[in-house]
Amino acid sequence: MDVFNLFLSLVPVTLAQSLILSFVVLAVMIPFRILSFPDLTSEGSYPLGGCVCAVALLAGIPPLLALALAAAAGFLAGVVTAVIHLRFRIHTLLAGILVTTMLYSINLRVMGKANLPIFGEAKIYDFFPFDLGSINYTKIIIAGLFALLVFVMLNLWFRTERGIAMRAVGSNPDMSEAQGISVWKATIGGVGMAGAFAAIGGGLMVQSQGFSDANMGLGILINALAALMIGEALVGKQTITRQLAAPFVGAFAYYQLISLCLAAGLPPSDLKIATGVFVLLMLAGPELRRAKGPRAAQEAFRE
Amino acid sequence: MTEHALNVIAARKTFFPGTADEKIALNDLSLSLAAGDFGIIIGSNGAGKSTMLNAISGALPLDSGQVLINGQDVTRTSVDRRAKHVARVFQDPMKGTAASMTIAENMLLAEMRQSPATLHKGLTKARRDRYRDLLAQLHLGLEDRLETQVSLLSGGQRQSLSLVMAVSGEPDLLLLDEHTAALDPRTAAIVLDATMRAVEALKLTTLMVTHNMQHAIDYGTRIIMLDAGRVKSDISGAAKAKCTVQSLVDQFAHKSDHMLLGA
Ligand SMILES: Nc1ncnc2c1ncn2[C@@H]1O[C@H](COP(=O)(O)OP(=O)(O)OP(=O)(O)O)[C@@H](O)[C@H]1O
Ligand SMILES: [Mg+2]
Repeated sequence: MDVFNLFLSLVPVTLAQSLILSFVVLAVMIPFRILSFPDLTSEGSYPLGGCVCAVALLAGIPPLLALALAAAAGFLAGVVTAVIHLRFRIHTLLAGILVTTMLYSINLRVMGKANLPIFGEAKIYDFFPFDLGSINYTKIIIAGLFALLVFVMLNLWFRTERGIAMRAVGSNPDMSEAQGISVWKATIGGVGMAGAFAAIGGGLMVQSQGFSDANMGLGILINALAALMIGEALVGKQTITRQLAAPFVGAFAYYQLISLCLAAGLPPSDLKIATGVFVLLMLAGPELRRAKGPRAAQEAFRE
Repeated sequence: MTEHALNVIAARKTFFPGTADEKIALNDLSLSLAAGDFGIIIGSNGAGKSTMLNAISGALPLDSGQVLINGQDVTRTSVDRRAKHVARVFQDPMKGTAASMTIAENMLLAEMRQSPATLHKGLTKARRDRYRDLLAQLHLGLEDRLETQVSLLSGGQRQSLSLVMAVSGEPDLLLLDEHTAALDPRTAAIVLDATMRAVEALKLTTLMVTHNMQHAIDYGTRIIMLDAGRVKSDISGAAKAKCTVQSLVDQFAHKSDHMLLGA
């Protein structure tokens, strides 16, 4: 019963965390699932968003604008990854690793040191006018509003002509080009958008924890990937609405799972290997099943 | 110069130049189509038929030569910016559609050739109704499956959809590369029939590659035979009416003789 009570007491904390993580999950999902452009840039654009946001807050920029600056920086990071792939035909994963590696130095330069506290600055969570007894509830409401807004906007976007064109580029780039769609523009726009979401996640996190750290992105990508796998297993990905809901549902379920593991006594230092094994199993699943049955259709990804 | 729908002027394309694998796919090939022409392209494997179509659509840059569409030089224009004028159907049904998207979404993509994508809602009721009418003409029941993912369709259904998509918006130029070759005979007949009806009704300027000599005789206004990257013969009018499968096959034979003599 102790385990269960501990788990329950963690729910408000994990809910706020998962709402923030869901932005990073979106940043993994959009290139991977919608553009067939598996991308690792969020490992770098998430801390980039955090750093930019922290520095902006310290410079006296209001929290919402700081978040917008973070998003712009993340967008730029995504654009660089996309252009490296499109222009030089470098594998998308390698392009993302290159950008992430370079971003580490950039993040340190932006902050001037490895860790930047912003305890005293105004935060986006201060906007909430009522006292709910715990700052966690305020965070849940503010981050939740952001998540809801993004979910609704993305649902609308991917139903516009341009949004549909963007999805087509991921589905069949040659065919899309033959229909007059620019593969360059769609890819740059989509991967840039993902970078912006990862950076917003970083910005929300920094404002939530009260400091920014150059190492805050470490392993975030695998966490996000695990969350995406869980989300897709729970809500599916047959329609664009389901595909867009998966990151949010997945981020929530993932954090509950983690908190259950912790409540049950798993040492926090073992979390990464648990998450890694989980992702491995999810990715290996189709291959394991195929060993028995007929070959499943391979998904085509850009190289 | 009189205004043609299409001019290919001294087009040249060499694959792997300067290596042992060097292959001249287009050897100063020239070809013109007047508006409304329906050219049937024949020629043996490796004659350069697909390469020519790729050069016209922009998928393959030429080494030298020019491509003019409606008198406008598009030699250096990218595929997506030629799409306003050119529509294609490939041999492989997988190539012409976006598999993970619905039939209706694919129809919308085809519409974007004519009008670039905007921020407006894509699939409006008016569009769905229009797509339903267009697809109903195929008599394949696709009109009732607008929200079905294309990956769930058979090859023949996908190819039929590709065709409807290609002719929608009345392209200035329709390019068909053995687009019925991968289909079973019955489905091939359905797709071919739909092709002929669309080309006729919309008076589309068309190039169709086929290995079926009977089709070359029965359809089209010109028979254009390619050989070793050039136009070997171009038959139209009364001469085309007199063609028989035998006379066309004989032309292939001549070529083989050349090859034997040349060897
Ligand atoms: N992408 C490519 N890379 C290298 N060589 C190519 C490429 N595409 C075509 N070729 C070569 O160019 C020549 C012409 O090929 P093409 O595909 O145009 O022939 P085709 O007339 O369409 O033949 P088929 O009837 O077999 O379709 C062939 O010798 C082929 O090997
Ligand atoms: Mg060919």
